[in-house]
Order: sequence, then C-alpha cells, then structure tokens
Amino acid sequence: MNNLHLVKRSGNTLVRRIVCYIVAIIISMGIGAILLSVLGINPVSYYKDMLTIGLIGNRYAYKSVEGFLKVFVPLLMVSLALALSFKMRFWNIGGEGEFLVGAMCAAAVAFNFGSLPTAALIPLMCLAAIISSGLIGLAVAFLKCRFNTNETLITLMINYIVLYGVKYFGETKADWNFFLRDDSARPIFAKFPENAEMPGIHIGAFNLLYSVIFTLILTVIIYVYLKYTKQGYEIAVVGDSSDTARYAGIKVKRVTLRTMFLSASLIGLAGAFSASASATVSSSMTNSVGWTGIVVAWLSKLSIPGIFVASILISILQYGCQAASTSYPAIDRNYADLLQGIILFAVLVSDFTVTFKIVKRKEDASK
Amino acid sequence: MTDSLSVLTLFFFSIVVYSIPLLYGTVGEIMIEKSGSLNLGVEGTMAIGAVLGYIVGCRADSLFVGMMIAFISSALVGALFSFLTVTLQANQNVTGLTITTFGVALYYFIGNGLGNDWPQMGSAPRMVNSFSDMEIPLLSDIPGIGKIFFSHNIMVYIAVGIAVLCWIYLNTTTLGLELRAIGENPGAADSMGINIPLMKYIHIMVGSGIMGLGGLYMGLNMGGTFEGSNCWINGYGWISIALVIFVNWNPAMAVVGTFVFGFFNTLRVYSGSLASTFPGLLGWLGNIPAQFFSALPFIITLLILVVDSMRKNKKSGQPAAIGLNYYREDR
Repeated sequence: MNNLHLVKRSGNTLVRRIVCYIVAIIISMGIGAILLSVLGINPVSYYKDMLTIGLIGNRYAYKSVEGFLKVFVPLLMVSLALALSFKMRFWNIGGEGEFLVGAMCAAAVAFNFGSLPTAALIPLMCLAAIISSGLIGLAVAFLKCRFNTNETLITLMINYIVLYGVKYFGETKADWNFFLRDDSARPIFAKFPENAEMPGIHIGAFNLLYSVIFTLILTVIIYVYLKYTKQGYEIAVVGDSSDTARYAGIKVKRVTLRTMFLSASLIGLAGAFSASASATVSSSMTNSVGWTGIVVAWLSKLSIPGIFVASILISILQYGCQAASTSYPAIDRNYADLLQGIILFAVLVSDFTVTFKIVKRKEDASK
Repeated sequence: MTDSLSVLTLFFFSIVVYSIPLLYGTVGEIMIEKSGSLNLGVEGTMAIGAVLGYIVGCRADSLFVGMMIAFISSALVGALFSFLTVTLQANQNVTGLTITTFGVALYYFIGNGLGNDWPQMGSAPRMVNSFSDMEIPLLSDIPGIGKIFFSHNIMVYIAVGIAVLCWIYLNTTTLGLELRAIGENPGAADSMGINIPLMKYIHIMVGSGIMGLGGLYMGLNMGGTFEGSNCWINGYGWISIALVIFVNWNPAMAVVGTFVFGFFNTLRVYSGSLASTFPGLLGWLGNIPAQFFSALPFIITLLILVVDSMRKNKKSGQPAAIGLNYYREDR
C-alpha cells in the first residue's frame, strides 16, 4: 500500500468526466432497479414511466411539460446563483431561506398593490424579491469579510429562521395578516390577485411563461458574465486564491460583497418567479430547491452548461417520480431523492477517478 | 397548588423526554467536527439508524438489539461519509447534504415499502418494557427534581453517560488530544506521526453511530408509527448542528445546552397550559407565537456565531480546520 499514492491529474479531463458520470448514473439506476424489484415492481416499466415524465400516450402532454418546467426553472436559477458564490469558495447554503424571502416579499407586493397593471406589478414584485434576498446575502458577506464568520453555518441558520417566519405568516389568523384568505376560518395562504400571475405566450394549449424565457436568457447572461467580463474573472481569481487576488490588486471584499448580493438576489428572484407562476406562496414551495441546487451546482463542477444539463436531469428525475406515482402508489416522490442520493454518491466516487490517479511510487533516486 | 406544581413538573419532565435525541445528535456531531469534518448529514444519519434499529429491534423484541443495529447502521453511513470525504477527498458539505437527502428518502422508501408489514410497538412487549421509565432509587423520591431528572427510560441515562465519556475522552486522554490536533491543524498532526485517515474514520463512524441511537430514541418516543408525510427526525438533526455551536464543541456542556434548546422546543407545546396555569406570572407566554419558539434555537445560534467571530473569541471550541479536507500533498 505504501508504494501507491495519489496524484492529481492534469490537463483536460472533460471527456473522461462525462464518461465517468454516465457510468455512475447507469450504475445508480441499476441499484435503484434492484430496490424496485425488491418491492415487486417491474423496474423497466417504472423507469419508462419516470423518464418519459408522462409524455407518451397522454392527451394532456402539455400539462406534463408545464409541470416539468415548474420544477426545472427554479432549480436552474438557484443552481446558477449558487454557482456564482461557490466559484468564490463562498459556501452560501442559505438557498432555501433566500428563496422564501424573495417569494414572501413578492407576495407582499402582490397583495398590497394588486390593482396595478401586470406590466408594472410583476417587475415590482421581482424588484422587492431581489432587494430583500440580496440584502441577506450582503449581510452574510459583510460578516464574512469583516469578522470572518463561518458563512456555511450562518446561512444554514438563516434557512430555518426564515422557514419558521413563513410558517408564522401562514398559520396566524389576524386582521393585519394580508397573506391569508379572508373567507376561510382556517389560516390558508391567499391566491394572488390576477394581475400578479405570471403571464405567458400561448402555443396551442401550452402556456410558455415569461419567467421560463427570462430564466433561459439569464443563463446565457451569467455564462457570458463569468467567462468574458472583468467581474467574472475577479470571481474566479478570488476563488482560486484570495492572496493572489489581493496581490493582483483585486478588492477581495468588494468582489465578495457584490457576488453574494448577486447570488442571493437571483435566488430571491427565483422565489418571486415561482410564487407568481403558482399564484400563491407556502412554506413548502421551495421543494428543497435550495438543497438540490447545491448538489446540481457541485455535480456540474460549477460550469454553466453543466448546470443546465444537470438541472434537466434532476428535474426529470423529480417530476418523473411524481408523474409515475399515479400508476405506482407504493413509490412516492421520495424515490427521486433516494435515486438522487445514490447517483450523487456514485458521481462523487467517479469524481475521484477524474481528479486523481493512483500511481506506483518510484524508488527514490537519491538513495 | 399541587395542580400547578404538576404542570411545572410535567413541563420540565417533557423537556428531558423530548430533547434527549438532540444530545445524541450533538455529541455525535461534536466527535465528528473535532476531527475537522463538518458533517451536514445528521438528519439522514439519524433517520437511517432510527428506521433500521426500530424494525430489527421490534422483530427481535429487544431494545438492546435495536440499539446495536441503530448504532451499526449509522456508523456505516459514517463510513460512507469518511470514504467519500477522507479517502476520495469529496466536498464535505455536498456529501453531508446528500447523506441527509438519501437517509430521509431511505426512511420513507422502507416505510412505504413495508406498508402493512410495518412492525407495531405492541408486537414487541419486551422492547417496550425495556424502554419504559424506570425510577432511580432514592434520587427519584426527591420531590419535583426526582420526577424531572431521575425517572426516565434507560436511553436518557445512556445519552448523558455517552456525553460525559466523550468529554473525558476529548479532554483527558492522549487519543482525544490527538483528535483535537487533527481538527485544529492536520498538517502539524500529520508530522507528529498521527494516522489522520484512521483517526477520522473511527471518530466519524463512532459519532455517526451515536447519532443513530438518537434516531432510534425518537422513533420509540413517537410510538413507532410510520407516517407517510413526516419523518421521525423532523429537523432534530439540524437543531443538533446548531447546538454544537451553542455548546462551543463541548460534550459536557451539551447536556446543559440540550436542556436549554429543549426548553424552547417544549415551551412551544406547553406555553398555552403554562399561561393558563400561571395567568399572572406567565400569561404573556400565550401571546408569543409558537413558530418563534421553534426558530429560537437557530436565532440564538446565529447570534452566537456572529458575536463569537466579532470578539475573535480565542476560547472558541470551533476546530480551525473544520470543513477542509486534508490532502497531504497540498501541505
């Protein structure tokens, strides 16, 4: 054992990585298939239902696409936003909280200014979300820069504080609480006024929401931002080594503050989009996107095209399980999480084979 | 008066009963974090230990078997975490979060898969008997205090015992010192000849195993019924991570800290009855929203984190190398 050791691979490993990941996914699906068979379910037909997300042989296939997009769009946006901060080696794991803050602030605008026309109301909602979530990100970045506070733990706490805050608004019946329905004795989050609902372009029966289009445009913008602008380059340098960055004359604190504001505000925007698309809020509306986003961003090695692909795959997994659960009641949507977990374990293992190689130690020449 | 006294006693008794899983989770996480690893998979580790320990314990009709299985299965999850982060150098945050996702999902998968075959606690009378409250002679006769602290089930005492043992281990033994050295400065520890991977594996596995016991406790405490919508662990894993910070990475303090966090958690349930029993003194409790009590542990922890870093607290127990993988050739 002693004459074996690890060496980091150099050079371009993209092809190797893709092959390894595909193998990892296939192995995971195999393990998932074994688990399904244990429950007496035919894995082939289950996977067929899952991977086609209920598109085949369905007259209402467009509904499936809309449902898929509802999972995909927030996941893509949150993963992109998280990648911004992760590139800087800033562990923002407060996606859940920032998402909810954005959604709630957007909802507050929607309920109070519901009479405005859609073209004014929705941008206003988005602005509220961007500013409120962005300020949280800014505060965390400030603490990190000024006092070197552990950002992983801080953002983790924020998630839960916000979650219980949302639950408070959702479960407290009071005159001042404009979030709730007036006509129900039980506390239920109200539906948004019509003007606050996300409009879209109708293609036949299918409704392509503007939030989807905007998210796709944003993906390209972030790609360009990271790859071709000075600010994007600064993020990469700070992430590689903040000492190098300082020597190069980059104002590390400013980059950190700016990037964290961007990262958190984009997550807030995703929350606003999601609230507006479903015309309501709830404490479970994040659908764990803050956690899954971390996984997606990491799986893709923070590459923007990678995030796009990984978001699609994970969304197919999640929405597919939901769609398949109609014909397989014993398997609920948690199976998607299980499979996701196994896939990630397999990918983490294959990551190793991509980054490192095991070599035999040569006899020491100086001896 | 006797009535109001019994409300108070019941309140404090419940704090102990409901917050002990936090102690298991916290002590387990302290062992892991002291080795320099941040494991965010507490929730999932506890869920796996809980579901496997409970099912096997019921089938064998033995609390001891259940505890062994809970410990072993969670320790295996810890082995997976160690394999990925120590041997394969995977990122700790991502690995931990994946363990949480995977563990909770496995809990539901097993529960849904078993369906009507899910074992009921009633089918395991001897296990239930072992888990029932037992009164410590003499001590439990002290009025009030005796009921609150000395008439619990055996797993409560085991938790306190583990916490004290871990404190002694970390602070008075050579191995404990070596472990802390790894968490503070792995490079220096390595040059002293400490086998870092081995130490990390052992402590991550033992720490995870302790968490698993906490999971089993939660399951038993909830009567062992599987609900399709709620996991037994119910966020206790995350509170444990917060509690580690609150008690400044000190297992002995964890006993006190658990009681403090448990106090808020139990206040959420009992604030109504306390307010109506003592309308003059505690009437205001009824006006505080329950969600505030739920959020309080996280708010306090957040404040501690911020204040500690502002004061550049030298006495902070936070391992300096926490969350960073140790790769020898980067040294």
